[in-house]
Amino acid sequence: MKYLARKIGLYAFIAWAALTLNFLIPRLMPGDPVTLLLEGSQGAIDPAAKAAIAKAYGISDDPLPVQYVDYLRALAHGDLGTSISQFPVPVVDIISRALPWTLGLVGVATVVSFLLGTGLGVLLAWRRGTWSDHVLPALTFLNAIPYFWMALILVLVLSVHLGLFPNAGGYERILFPGWTPQFIGSILYHALLPAITIVLGSFAGWVLSMRNMTVTVLGEDYVSLAEAKGLPSRHVLLTYAARNAILPSITGFALSLGAVVGGSMLTEVIFNYPGVGYTLFSAVQAQDFPLMQGLFLIISLAVIAANLVADVAYVFLDPRTRQGA
Amino acid sequence: MSISSLVPRSGKVRAGLIIVLVFVLIALIGPLTATHAPQATSFDLRQAPSARHWMGTTQTGQDVYAQFVTGARVSLLVGLVAGVVSQVFSVIIGLLGGYLRGVADDLLYILTAVFLVIPGMPLLIVLTGYLPSRGLFAIAVVIAITSWAGSARVIRAQTMSLSGREFVEAARAGGESRLRIMFAEVLPNMLPLVASGFLFSVIGGILSEAGLSFLGLGSLTTVSWGSMLYFAQSGQALLSGAWWWYVPPGLAIAIIGAGLALINFGIDEYANPRLRTGAARRHAARGSLAAGADPTAADAAAGGTELPAGGAGGPAAAAATTRAGAAGTSGSGAALADTVPDADPVIRAADVTGDPVIEVDALSVDYPTVHGTVHAVDGVTLTLHRGEILGLAGESGSGKSTLTNAITRMLRPPARIAGGAVTYTDADGTRTDLLALDDRGLRGIRWTEIAVVFQSAMNALNPVTSIGSQFDDVIRVHRPDLGPTRRTELAREHLRRVGIDPERIGAYPHELSGGMKQRVAIAIALVLEPDVIFMDEPTTALDLLVQREVLDQIVRLREEYGFAIVFTTHDLALLLEISDSIAVMRRGHLVEYGPAAEIYRYARHPYTRSLLDSLEALGSLA
Repeated sequence: MKYLARKIGLYAFIAWAALTLNFLIPRLMPGDPVTLLLEGSQGAIDPAAKAAIAKAYGISDDPLPVQYVDYLRALAHGDLGTSISQFPVPVVDIISRALPWTLGLVGVATVVSFLLGTGLGVLLAWRRGTWSDHVLPALTFLNAIPYFWMALILVLVLSVHLGLFPNAGGYERILFPGWTPQFIGSILYHALLPAITIVLGSFAGWVLSMRNMTVTVLGEDYVSLAEAKGLPSRHVLLTYAARNAILPSITGFALSLGAVVGGSMLTEVIFNYPGVGYTLFSAVQAQDFPLMQGLFLIISLAVIAANLVADVAYVFLDPRTRQGA
Repeated sequence: MSISSLVPRSGKVRAGLIIVLVFVLIALIGPLTATHAPQATSFDLRQAPSARHWMGTTQTGQDVYAQFVTGARVSLLVGLVAGVVSQVFSVIIGLLGGYLRGVADDLLYILTAVFLVIPGMPLLIVLTGYLPSRGLFAIAVVIAITSWAGSARVIRAQTMSLSGREFVEAARAGGESRLRIMFAEVLPNMLPLVASGFLFSVIGGILSEAGLSFLGLGSLTTVSWGSMLYFAQSGQALLSGAWWWYVPPGLAIAIIGAGLALINFGIDEYANPRLRTGAARRHAARGSLAAGADPTAADAAAGGTELPAGGAGGPAAAAATTRAGAAGTSGSGAALADTVPDADPVIRAADVTGDPVIEVDALSVDYPTVHGTVHAVDGVTLTLHRGEILGLAGESGSGKSTLTNAITRMLRPPARIAGGAVTYTDADGTRTDLLALDDRGLRGIRWTEIAVVFQSAMNALNPVTSIGSQFDDVIRVHRPDLGPTRRTELAREHLRRVGIDPERIGAYPHELSGGMKQRVAIAIALVLEPDVIFMDEPTTALDLLVQREVLDQIVRLREEYGFAIVFTTHDLALLLEISDSIAVMRRGHLVEYGPAAEIYRYARHPYTRSLLDSLEALGSLA
């Protein structure tokens, strides 16, 4: 599995780059977090506390390599520092509280959107040259709508005016969290509208790329041959055309996933959804730099892991990558 | 050049350009027409649109129209700067990596992968979190840094494929510097890609700026569409029903994003003709699933003289070049068709003993093009007998592929059958009108009675499924009563017949050599023991030694099974050797048709004679 080994190597490197970037950003960006914080507090924080704050940030005057080793050592122990805005809660605790919400919401919504978009893309490619071509400009428009604006409109229409959905939070406040049917029902109910937003905001992109790839593949000789074989159209479309057309969609997963994650974060903010995106937003607003960086790291690692999964799936779908196994 | 030639023909591109133009005008002129300063407050709090405030006011009495038009200027500017900076990064990194290869490429590839995979928005948020002052330009550059990678990867791939082409080789041989080759030779050939990447980054820039500003992370002292939405959200515009405040900026972002994407569609379609929609595609042929731009259509329409340069090398363009390349090796240049005078066709009686299996009667196929209708096949009449090998000769663009595609009902739009009939007669003497068959009837006759072997074995087998399953699906559909074990046996038996180890049944196409792939394709064609096999240049893509092996095999299998073959090629020498009868096509007409031996000895049509003479000059018949 040379291909897979190379991919794993690449992702390991990317993960290391993300770690390092996370280390370098606060140290190399022109704004010094402590100064920014003092300025932001407009005198509420005693400038004398500067050294103490710097210490809490893990910022020291040690040379960079020493700091880097300390940073890696702390990471190895799962230590992402202490939150400023929720002092003295460790960053790790805040993230592990927020992560399941986002994984559930964004994970499910992304899978639904991918399946829906890919399926529809194949269908539109098959029916091209008919009325279906006129759907394309509409999808282009849908694809260009900013997630957060779509979320605003959906909240306004579906929850404020029609009262069909709750407009904020992850569950009913009066419920006590636990594995009760009531609580789980409440979670699903609250996740529905944000999920619809993410699906609506992202599926059109999958449709457009899958349609174009399928149209291109439909012109290949092996598809003509399948047709000449007298196979049923459905079989030609799925086993010959779509089966090949989906490959670039999977290699392009990284590109699209980044956009979906970004959009989903904004969606979380609109819905006050207790996930990673909303937490990052609050962290930035509170200038809680350790939390901000911890979140950035976790989000990056999650996306890297998702890409690795996509690449493993690719190995199963494309026998050419299994060469030399 | 007239003005009208500058207006794109595609409706999508036109719509996109109009949208973008309107917004550019709003950004340029709009702020001059505003009667209020965008940030000036007044006592007209949260008012609906009126003559005084064309688009209403905000919670603090600011004029929404003034904000909207100023926001247009800011948002477009950020998008533009982000697009330019990001595309400069992409082009430099993509070109360097793709052209230099080696270690430099590896490093740049990894760098690109890092930026591609690390999610842009969180990185953007963290980066802007640390920006001491959030000026517009700084934000645009940060957006560019998080968005260049996707386009760089595309440009790298295209550079790699271009740097092997003749014009780059020529420049290299001419001693041009690497930089010059990269930027003066390679880059101009992928402008569509660069343009498309640029438009995408502009969209990305506008969206990212809006997102950041909406989170309160942008430059909130500047009015942009994003910051309008930020203030609308914090000012409870939604709950108070002030739609005039939050609808225009969001809608504007979506519309301009769609406009830019529509232009991108046009660029994609220019680079890859298969994606085109609209007028050219409306004459969809019945029963045809794959209606991509057929290379044979392109070369028939171009009269066989030259193939249209297919943009930035989409798959269709690549296919067209392969065919042109193959034709070029035949040694009979396209010029031959033009220099030889026209003469009456020479048709001789066949001397084959079998019953007719396919009769073609006055078949005509037309291609509507922008320059009028091209008669790719014009009144062709042929008879194929049981067990006969009919050689169909002619140069590229002579209409021979169009003819066989018409008979097998594999024509792609816009080609359409303009007249004539094709009749198939089975072993019991039942006659079927092939052109009148519906989808169901057609599927029933395909492969059981009429099978096809394509020119390029490389592309004729599905790359992602095993050889075994490509036998299996066709047997399962046409012989539903056979169980899985029997089907596998059948497949293995036919692999053995073409001289391939049956153990390789689980192999994938990429694991076989070109010759083996072509033999597999032949074995698949034989598996249902059809009456007729159409072979479209089945040996052209193979090297000479393998060509000979495959050819011998085909002739031997014909003896064994007794099927008839329609063998298409531009190689007359080959046809003279294996065929019972030969049909020579030129510009859609049959110019000479008769027994192979007679044509070799007494070719009467001047075109056939010139083809034979050119063969002798090359020593092919020595």
